[in-house]
Amino acid sequence: MASRLPILRRISILLKAPPSTTLRSLRPSLARRFLLRKVLAPNVSPWICAAASSFCSGPLNLPQDSQGPAAIDYRSVLSEDEYHRLANSTIQDLQEKLEEFGDIVELEGFDVDYGNEVLTLKLGTLGTYVMNKQTPNRQIWLSSPISGPSRFDWDHNAQAWVYRRTKANLLKLLESELEQLCNKPVNLS
Amino acid sequence: MLRLVAKRLLGTASGDIPSRPLQILPRLYHENVIDHYNNPRNVGSFDKNDPNVGTGLVGAPACGDVMKLQIKIDEESGKIVDACFKTFGCGSAIASSSVATEWVKGKSMDEVLTIKNTEIAKHLSLPPVKLHCSMLAEDAIKAAVKDAEAKRAKTNATLKGADVKSG
Repeated sequence: MASRLPILRRISILLKAPPSTTLRSLRPSLARRFLLRKVLAPNVSPWICAAASSFCSGPLNLPQDSQGPAAIDYRSVLSEDEYHRLANSTIQDLQEKLEEFGDIVELEGFDVDYGNEVLTLKLGTLGTYVMNKQTPNRQIWLSSPISGPSRFDWDHNAQAWVYRRTKANLLKLLESELEQLCNKPVNLS
Repeated sequence: MLRLVAKRLLGTASGDIPSRPLQILPRLYHENVIDHYNNPRNVGSFDKNDPNVGTGLVGAPACGDVMKLQIKIDEESGKIVDACFKTFGCGSAIASSSVATEWVKGKSMDEVLTIKNTEIAKHLSLPPVKLHCSMLAEDAIKAAVKDAEAKRAKTNATLKGADVKSG
């Protein structure tokens, strides 16, 4: 494991900053547009792609036909501070809305708990949702009794958390599943 | 006998029937997980330069889990004849990848792509927070198959080129 670290650090540096320019010198919107162009350009280094595929089960691991065209710029740099700000506000907002939902829907065993930055939603016998931050990947991870595990990335364009494989929106997914489980609509946006 | 059964059903512990505290036990690993953790199947590695070996490497140490799953393909039938794994991670991750190596043996590459993380999770009775481990195992299988197919395509291309040259 010790011999891996320098390589991984090098890879992460490579992925963060394109070789020809430093992002900090560009305005954020310009930087994003630049990265989008880079991603859509056909001559992305295969080595970077191979390296990226070794990170947390990203879309590059799947056979091409199950992965639609990359509408999301997955190489967009989300700084750790901004990530924490976005993720924390999403999760805390969800916690409040779910607590309100719990008051409306009378479900035995309903419980919302937020501890150690992990949000746990118990729906009695209907199942348990667990949501947590995955800081190294800048992701929010969700475990659902209906759709199983999913990993959401922040999409700048949509201003939402999106699961790349299914294009699912975190809040919309929760809304539809909770409505399905509890027979009551809920608005989490 | 009937009184014993009736007492059990009514839950009236009169001392002669031991009380069953199962419902208040904290989260435990399912016995399948413990089994795979204590007796992991197919730990090891194959030569990744072998043209009949597909290697899937998923996860990252920063995330907490890394899985390397390798499959050995039979040249003629295209079926997976052997598999091995090495995993860095929690007990559930180790068990998930161990199960994955058991399930891929003897199957064709197309067949193993249908193995779903939900099946692995069900087999190991993984709690909600550990479902991600089973997904990683499914990804490892897919990555290994993709690598094996890429190698086969490359070998076939090389052979075709050789045929054209000699013909």
